[in-house]
Amino acid sequence: MNYTFDFSVLVGNFGPLIEGLQTTLLLALGANVLGLTVGFVVCLLAMAPFWILRLPAKMFIEFFRCTPVLIQIVWFFYCVPILFNVFLDPITMGIMALGLNLIAFNAEAYRAGIQAVPKEHHDACVALGLGAWHKTVYVIFPQALRNAIPVLMTNGITILQQSALVAIVAVADLMYAGKMLATNTYRPLEVFTAVALIYFFMSLPISQVVTFLERRQDASVER
Amino acid sequence: MNMVDNINKQQEEETAKYQGAEDNSPLIEFKGVTKRFGDTCVMDEMDLKMKAGDRLVIIGPSGSGKSTLLRVLMGLEKIDKGEIFFGSNPYITVDRKGRTRTDMSVRSKIGMVFQHYTLFPHLSVMSNLTLSPVKVRGMARSEAEDRAREYLARLGMEDKLYSYPGKLSGGQKQRVAIARALMLEPKLMLFDEVTSALDPEMVAEIEKVMLDLAKQKMAMMIVTHDMYFAKKIATESVFIAGGKVIEKCDPEIMFNEPKQERTRDFLDKVLHLK
Amino acid sequence: MNFDFFRVLSYWDVLLNGLGITLLFTVSAVIIGTLLGFIISLMRVSPFRVLKWPARLYVEFFRGTPMLIQLFWIFFCLPLVIGRDIPPYVSVLLAMVLFMAAITSETFRGSLKSISGEQHDACVALGLNFRVKAINVIFPQALLRSIPPLMSNNVALFKESALISSVGIADLMFVSSNISSSTARPVEFLTAAAIIYFVVAFPATRLVDLVEKRLLLRFT
Repeated sequence: MNYTFDFSVLVGNFGPLIEGLQTTLLLALGANVLGLTVGFVVCLLAMAPFWILRLPAKMFIEFFRCTPVLIQIVWFFYCVPILFNVFLDPITMGIMALGLNLIAFNAEAYRAGIQAVPKEHHDACVALGLGAWHKTVYVIFPQALRNAIPVLMTNGITILQQSALVAIVAVADLMYAGKMLATNTYRPLEVFTAVALIYFFMSLPISQVVTFLERRQDASVER
Repeated sequence: MNMVDNINKQQEEETAKYQGAEDNSPLIEFKGVTKRFGDTCVMDEMDLKMKAGDRLVIIGPSGSGKSTLLRVLMGLEKIDKGEIFFGSNPYITVDRKGRTRTDMSVRSKIGMVFQHYTLFPHLSVMSNLTLSPVKVRGMARSEAEDRAREYLARLGMEDKLYSYPGKLSGGQKQRVAIARALMLEPKLMLFDEVTSALDPEMVAEIEKVMLDLAKQKMAMMIVTHDMYFAKKIATESVFIAGGKVIEKCDPEIMFNEPKQERTRDFLDKVLHLK
Repeated sequence: MNFDFFRVLSYWDVLLNGLGITLLFTVSAVIIGTLLGFIISLMRVSPFRVLKWPARLYVEFFRGTPMLIQLFWIFFCLPLVIGRDIPPYVSVLLAMVLFMAAITSETFRGSLKSISGEQHDACVALGLNFRVKAINVIFPQALLRSIPPLMSNNVALFKESALISSVGIADLMFVSSNISSSTARPVEFLTAAAIIYFVVAFPATRLVDLVEKRLLLRFT
């Protein structure tokens, strides 16, 4: 290998990268807020006893889980303005596109969490005379949430990584800033390495927490 | 005071049938064996002897180190101090650096049956039985299969040869597990709470299998919570607590008039006769 | 606003060609990536640090960065590092293989770890040596348990493969966005492409559920 590294190109160009990073964080955060809240509602709809609620929710979940995020984003950016005649700023669009995807994945995570609550606990609630409301709020949801947390966090990191795709529709996130910088400086190696490391160190702490939580849950199941 | 008088009468005749072990040569001897899990000492300088004709039942409160004793003997746990002899040969020892040394040729003479069956779920009953004889002992497959058929027939399982463990009841699984251990023709069988995970109606079928083995003079070491069964099958019994042997004697004495206060307390509690 | 979904039909063969390219890359990367992933998982459960740590670093890095940057790095930077050109389809395949290997190694590692301690005890009690234990007892059980999550990984890779359009590989994503801009009909063509992706991925996910239930029935 006879390539000479020149990381000095990064030094003078931190500005655009930092701005891009802010956008990336905003996208990931916004999408997670949507995913955690609306995802729960969609999960409840998908488990509703009435098919008229259940069916659309399930179709929504399956559709977003079974198509590439890239096509969801591209579709959202090109088709929503045509179809609904709304023109929003790119970041809001990005948050909504990524949010919709995360809503579907989180709804599924919540559902798995609820189904992981042992059947015996439902029986115990009947035996203790707890009504449906009390059973749900005090017994099922707290356990379901605890079961779901590692997956919700993993989904959260995944959407942070998937947020890089908005660069393809020219939203000025970290990935986009990196691409521009790589082109302008002719130094893709240094720039893309730096960008990869930034993404990596953003997700690393969260993935460590997930590993820790999963170990603790495994240990408590064994007992 | 006669704690288990009524049970005694009922079982006296049966018990006599399984007595009569005559081989008095030593089979297993623990000498000062110590085993710690972190700070807790589960075997504390333990000494224990077993004769070749013995069926030794080990009883004691939970956490007293009964199962650990069997696991150490099977080579599943390391020890911190002491040595274990098989016949007159050293079997498990601790070297100068504190590492446990196990004589593998001796280990292959010991078989073990576990509480949770531990059958291999991806293999048929037949493959579970023939795996070790064929792959490790180098037995011809046809010979191993013949022997497997014979053992399963003896345990009344000949129609389940090609079933998978998932399709069997708990009692059937445990019978297969016993047959699997017997395939290797062990000199000593270890039974670690083999009926504890079974539904009550299946306990008797496993106990019958073990009593049949007793008739054939198989040397056994048995950890069980079932005191009636313990009394029935044992030629020798030992009470363990806090990692030490508290009392070792004939089961007649152990279950009728134990010498030690702690043994008596324990038996009172488990037999609910106080 | 009027839509003309019949226009899609006249481009049907182009879209199907795109799907063919998508599937070609996905299947190739699935095969190579799964094998590599299995080796990586063995390195990670091995007792040797020299094997464990590089494998761990690799997996953490590929799971902790966007696939798009991995793809760009391999596409634009790797040729600079090794000092020679790499054909685009090779770098794209390499990116997909490395991504796949990282996620499948985690799947295999999970199933290897899920084999209970009691199974290992039974192997000792039966006097099985390391080779027989690994080949006849542990691997078959771990592989069986891996089948459903591996199938999910395949679906995930199929979806992620849409990214290769960004470096000019003419996959389904690429041709559909190209036609959308040349015909100025994004709604029709992007929707059609999304539906094609769905039609492939959705039955696959149902199959995963089915296989999972079957396996559970038989082996627990």
